[in-house]
Amino acid sequence: MLVFTRKRDEAVVIGDGVEVRVLRIGRDSIRLGVTAPTSVPVHRLEIYEQIRAENQMAAAILKSPDRLSQLRKQKIKEALDPQTAPETAATPVAPAGSVQPVQPSGKTL
Amino acid sequence: MTAISVDPVNGTTQHLVTEFGSFDVGPSEQVSFPSGLPGFEACRKFVLLSSEELGLFQCLRSIEGPVASFIVVDPRRVLPTYRTVLSTADHVRLGSAGDATMLLWLAIVTLEDTTGQAHVNLRAPIVINPQMMVGYQLMPSNSLYPLRHPLSGD
Repeated sequence: MLVFTRKRDEAVVIGDGVEVRVLRIGRDSIRLGVTAPTSVPVHRLEIYEQIRAENQMAAAILKSPDRLSQLRKQKIKEALDPQTAPETAATPVAPAGSVQPVQPSGKTL
Repeated sequence: MTAISVDPVNGTTQHLVTEFGSFDVGPSEQVSFPSGLPGFEACRKFVLLSSEELGLFQCLRSIEGPVASFIVVDPRRVLPTYRTVLSTADHVRLGSAGDATMLLWLAIVTLEDTTGQAHVNLRAPIVINPQMMVGYQLMPSNSLYPLRHPLSGD
């Protein structure tokens, strides 16, 4: 970890121009301003860590053999309502780009 | 889950062997994740696998760097009223130019060890732009959706 001491209104620059500036210093907290390109997301650490922990748990899901059958038991909606989309949309979103299995070859797996 | 990669450089086909089928994956099926996923930042290329054994679920699997597989499902199959908002930053990163109608939404599934209870992460969905073949995991700072929305088994 690189450690800097900054006074109010001072800043650090990270990478290609991401700027972190101290705006206000209070007794128990400080106010930071982050200037970054629109494409660079900035998150509170605890949110990132929460997602990270959840992803790590999810990645282990198929590591035991009976998981697949447990998964198949789950009830989920078969048909998607064509009128809805997670963001405003009039047309349904097809599962583009998904890959289907190949026919089994002569090899045993 | 084992994978036998046939020269992953320069876009040749990879052959993947999984619990739910064998797959030949070509370069046109690869989705780029420029930021990886939280916890899997080094995984920058994924493929989306479907098979009858998965049913309505799919598997998002990394094919470069560390191997990581995620079971995913369209969040609307879990919650038909699912809505989330893409920020300007999200649109820029996805290259969707403000038009979200063709985006693919995938929520990650976890299974609890002891109970077998399945949960879906509705708070941080994965969004893929199939035209640009690029994807990210969204992390809204004020989502009202749960991190673990329970599915009902039988």
